Amino acid sequence: MKDQKNQTDRVAEGEAEMPAFSMSQAAADGRSSQVKRKILVVGKEHAFTPEVMDYAVSLAQRLGYDLIGMNLKPALEQSGKFFSPYNQHLRAKFTKQARVAWEKTKTGLQQQGIRGDHVVRFNDVAEAVKDLNQQVKRIDFVIADVGINSEEITGEIPLPVFSISGYEGGQVMAQEQGVNRSKLVGKTIALGLGSVAIYAAVFWNSGSVMQLFTKGGLYAALPVATVFLVSFVHGAFASNLWSCLGIEATKKVQPRVAPRPVSRKRPRPQLRINA
Amino acid sequence: MHDIAGEAVQFIDLNTMNILFLFVVGFIGGLVSGFIGSGGAFVLTPAMMSLGVLGTVAVASNMCHKFPKAMVGAYKRFKYGQVDIKLGLVISASAGLGVWVGIKIQEMILAAWGQAGSNLYVSLSFVVILVIVGGYVFYDAWKTQKTGGAEKVSALALRLQKIELWPMMHFKTANVRISLWFTLPIGFATGMLAATIAVGGFIGVPGMIYGLGATGLVASATELVVAFVMGFFGTIKWAMHGMVDIRLTLIILAGSLIGVQLGAIGTTYVKEYMIKVVMGTIMIIVAVSRALAVPQYLKELGFISLSPTTLNILSKASFIIMCLALAVGSFIILGAMWKAKRAESAAKKAADYSLAEESYG
Repeated sequence: MKDQKNQTDRVAEGEAEMPAFSMSQAAADGRSSQVKRKILVVGKEHAFTPEVMDYAVSLAQRLGYDLIGMNLKPALEQSGKFFSPYNQHLRAKFTKQARVAWEKTKTGLQQQGIRGDHVVRFNDVAEAVKDLNQQVKRIDFVIADVGINSEEITGEIPLPVFSISGYEGGQVMAQEQGVNRSKLVGKTIALGLGSVAIYAAVFWNSGSVMQLFTKGGLYAALPVATVFLVSFVHGAFASNLWSCLGIEATKKVQPRVAPRPVSRKRPRPQLRINA
Repeated sequence: MHDIAGEAVQFIDLNTMNILFLFVVGFIGGLVSGFIGSGGAFVLTPAMMSLGVLGTVAVASNMCHKFPKAMVGAYKRFKYGQVDIKLGLVISASAGLGVWVGIKIQEMILAAWGQAGSNLYVSLSFVVILVIVGGYVFYDAWKTQKTGGAEKVSALALRLQKIELWPMMHFKTANVRISLWFTLPIGFATGMLAATIAVGGFIGVPGMIYGLGATGLVASATELVVAFVMGFFGTIKWAMHGMVDIRLTLIILAGSLIGVQLGAIGTTYVKEYMIKVVMGTIMIIVAVSRALAVPQYLKELGFISLSPTTLNILSKASFIIMCLALAVGSFIILGAMWKAKRAESAAKKAADYSLAEESYG
């Protein structure tokens, strides 16, 4: 009860702070004055960082806004008609995890009286935000979770984007990276050992391996299968190795030019004589 | 460097120097092909042969390393959104026919003029194609750089795209809509060149750029798909004859998988025309190298006479220049990456500094 009162006070405060703004907005857009304004929180994991979510929630509460949580996994984007069941499976898994995590957030939101929606997308941050902004009305600004680089959110998004910085934000980021990094190093070492094992298996007894592999005919499957195995294990090791050394793809140098939206011809009212 | 006589095919003994040499060449070849979509093969085959590997085994083992490398590179660049799988598969299909015709022509020349004639044909094709195409690629890159670094679609591609000839195909990633008929000659030429000089990409990538209108980034990434398909079927053919030396393949692969990843990452750092710069440079240097090999074959055919010392010097110079082509290519790639990386970290530092000023100042 007390909470509720507190909340209404805060909402009132928020409105009192900028009455001119909301009035003019409402006047300008009379139809959608029913639609509440929204904050969009974007994250690249299946769950949002608690610090960022707390910030977004308190902001939404103060301003009297709704909240939309968007979990992204750009790595699972499918381009063209290339269909992969494994990709589908990963998408389903990610969606499920995100929904479970959102349920927890949602109960917190309900307690505070904030309406929260949830979406899961599999494209770029910029694209996903742009799409959603077209579908959902009145998203006022975007809060980017830890893990979204500044390169990903500059330029192409038609909304103001904020990320959390400062002491706590910095701490969160340092923590996140630390955890990811040790995980990455562990994975690289494991893959490296796997690749050493494959090489050892071939070279340990290279005489008989060579004899078997060069028999020809259906034995051709042996070298082909071996190089496939090596390319998966050693390839993944090499990829992680460069990540560990801090050499990763950048998007900064080559900004993709966002295609300008095609200007649609609007039907103009024309005078016609009904004869 | 001695051969052990096997039952059917001879395979070499490996020592530490050989292994290290193949690993390093594999790495550099991988770096270049991750960046420009092909390359490495033209050095690896002669390099292996210089270690005493039989020609056919060298070609087979090289091809067996090429397709997994191309697969890893293509996957990496697919993640960056640079690969047009549909275009790659369409080109590969017609490339298959090109390979078949290329082999037939080789066989005819071999029957008519013998091994020297065949070598001459290969070297001359190298020189003619690489000088013309490589020269044009290099000129275009230079022009692009001069006009501010923005790539333009070639006039030829624009004209071809306008011709509505059934069946029209839309390649989404390349952002090209063009008739299937115009992709066929490119694929065919890629295959023929692959069958002749083992590097189809020297025609495939410029073909996709200037003939179809794809960007250098998409063309070089898509070439990896073509290389994968052609290498895969080629390997099966060679392996069924028992020609693949898995040890050589794995050693090269150990280096090239690391290199190909770096090359693919590199494409995201540098400006797009850098792909053309690297490609044009390598093609012209390789052309010089092959031109030095021509006198030897002319002598074998009895057209000219040369002293053995001159021939020896020429063939050594030819091989060294070939290695130089790869070295220069990788040097440009790494240099461009290094520069871009430094600029990026400087910008980041400046941003952090201003942020710190804002929060604490």
